[in-house]
Amino acid sequence: MDEAPLLSVRDLTVAFDTRRGSFEAVSGVSFDVRPGRTLGVVGESGSGKSVTAMAVMRLLPDSARVTAGQVHFGARDLGPLTDRQMQSIRGRGIAMVFQDPMASLNPILTIGWQVMEPLMLQLGLGRRAARARAQELLSLVRIPSPAEIMHAYPHELSGGMRQRVMIAIALSCGPKLLIADEPTTALDVTTQAQILELLRDLQQRLDMSVLLITHDLGVVAEFADEVLVMYAGRIVERSPVMALFDRPGHPYTEGLLRSMPPLEDEDPETLPAIEGNVASPFALPTGCAFHPRCPYAWDDCTRVLPPFSPLGEGHDAACLRHGALTA
Amino acid sequence: MTAPANLIRADFLAKHYPVLSGAFRKRVTGTVRAVDGVSFTIARGETLALVGESGCGKSTTGRLLMRLVEPTAGTVRFDNIEISELDARQLRAVRRRMQLVFQDASSAFNPRMTVGALIAEPMDLAGLSADQCRARVDELLPLVGLAAEHAGRYPHEFSGGQRQRIGIARALALRPDFVVCDEPVSALDVSVQAQVVNLLTGLQREFGLTYLFISHDLRIVRHVADRVAVMYLGRIVEIADKATLYRKPQHPYTRALLSAVPAHRPGTVRARTEVVGEVASARAVPPGCRYHTRCPYVMPVCRVDDPELFDLGGGHRSACHLVRPLQ
Repeated sequence: MDEAPLLSVRDLTVAFDTRRGSFEAVSGVSFDVRPGRTLGVVGESGSGKSVTAMAVMRLLPDSARVTAGQVHFGARDLGPLTDRQMQSIRGRGIAMVFQDPMASLNPILTIGWQVMEPLMLQLGLGRRAARARAQELLSLVRIPSPAEIMHAYPHELSGGMRQRVMIAIALSCGPKLLIADEPTTALDVTTQAQILELLRDLQQRLDMSVLLITHDLGVVAEFADEVLVMYAGRIVERSPVMALFDRPGHPYTEGLLRSMPPLEDEDPETLPAIEGNVASPFALPTGCAFHPRCPYAWDDCTRVLPPFSPLGEGHDAACLRHGALTA
Repeated sequence: MTAPANLIRADFLAKHYPVLSGAFRKRVTGTVRAVDGVSFTIARGETLALVGESGCGKSTTGRLLMRLVEPTAGTVRFDNIEISELDARQLRAVRRRMQLVFQDASSAFNPRMTVGALIAEPMDLAGLSADQCRARVDELLPLVGLAAEHAGRYPHEFSGGQRQRIGIARALALRPDFVVCDEPVSALDVSVQAQVVNLLTGLQREFGLTYLFISHDLRIVRHVADRVAVMYLGRIVEIADKATLYRKPQHPYTRALLSAVPAHRPGTVRARTEVVGEVASARAVPPGCRYHTRCPYVMPVCRVDDPELFDLGGGHRSACHLVRPLQ
């Protein structure tokens, strides 16, 4: 439990400047990813989950600024690194897989070339060695007949196969942390199950840490060890995965879990939905951003930003209900 | 003549698209069999769900029912009217009674029209007076959970969930009997999906609507459907009432789909069917059973003989040689 974290993020705040003014996409986010473990980050569009990952990788768009916070990878503070130094962390230290592999693959280069490229640039392998290693990587991600796929172009592969190629590229330089941002969202369910299975297997074999970003609580249930729940740019709950599903501490988490229709149990006539709409970053509610949608909200919730209250081993929720109970 | 119990009856419906090649796209080099002979009925007030992965032909089937796509073969009867025989004027009259709710409602909206004008548009086209339109818009807004003052606003001022409500109001404007819901909640945030599902089921109860509910989400389908048809590569491979399909799926593909749905909670031990490979191409439909290339139970007969939908009793039919009744 007291093992030093592989990735440590403290008070990360990211602001975007837009024509409509500036807003905070991520506010005061802190978390650790432990070696060999999977941290799931759950949230809806605009919750700040992807921006958090991009800030860690230092891949934010020009309109975004990190206005506060530190990111440590192992003992190294990533904040003061030059772009060149950061380039050596990307790939070898931290690698990333995105939702849409077609947007990341170059349509006019062969798969083989694209897997070989980081091996030659980052690890300095010669062409022959890189080719052999690329073929190994493609079989590691269970691509059938890798020798033939080396000569294929991205459009010739299915969505699932392309995502396997992206995983092979991400793993090529032996990263210690894999950030997977909605890696299966664009895929069909049977393919999604296969890719998750593959990621889980690779994580164990390669002893990697994974930061898994998703909107799907089912994916989290199957894959994560610990979970962060984000809403409107803030973490509202962090918990070991079992405790989160057994005893959700934040009303938003509770609402998300309840609104998921069951696959086996008795089905309610009306789904218990979370009322209202996702908060707009330009007009964030005061106090707890969830209060306009919260069935338990009272006056204080409109004024006070709720602090984290401990609910158990590694389990906290930012909700005044717990503060009121324990104080 | 008494009204038939079935509002919709599709027989041997097929849609094949030619694959064109050559410099001028004039040479036909193949056929995409998007929908390849499907038959089913939908009773009045019933929800039939069509499930399957991308490219299985479920959306095309929905459009064939409304004759938004001309069938290559087969017939559709709507309230005992053979719709493929209607001329343009007769078809317009019937189409008022069948409407479509899209995945992304706002892509069909003219951004310069107010919400009131958007909802009135189908009524205007159908020749209703401005007063009638206005009165109906005033009725529809609260029905879909929007406020009267929303009528004067523009679509971009609304969230995804609200825009889907506008799309539903538009579909209901002409008091249809039948609504094709094509992935109506797939693009929405998880916390908003349940709201829109509840809206659709509530409207169905209130107005006795008949739905074809097209979705890849087996949790939501279990909640909304009365009967479920599973499609694979242009064919229905299994159809049954909801309870039977989820409890006693007979087709290996249905089992694979169900086992691929991520768990409801961590630590749930569910039998994982080994799903191999990915969906074959509708351009090169495998001979024999279309699923044999991925099926873990494949037998020699499956490679040559295309199984029909065998009747298993109680309206449960499955196209698998394993369930072929003994002669």
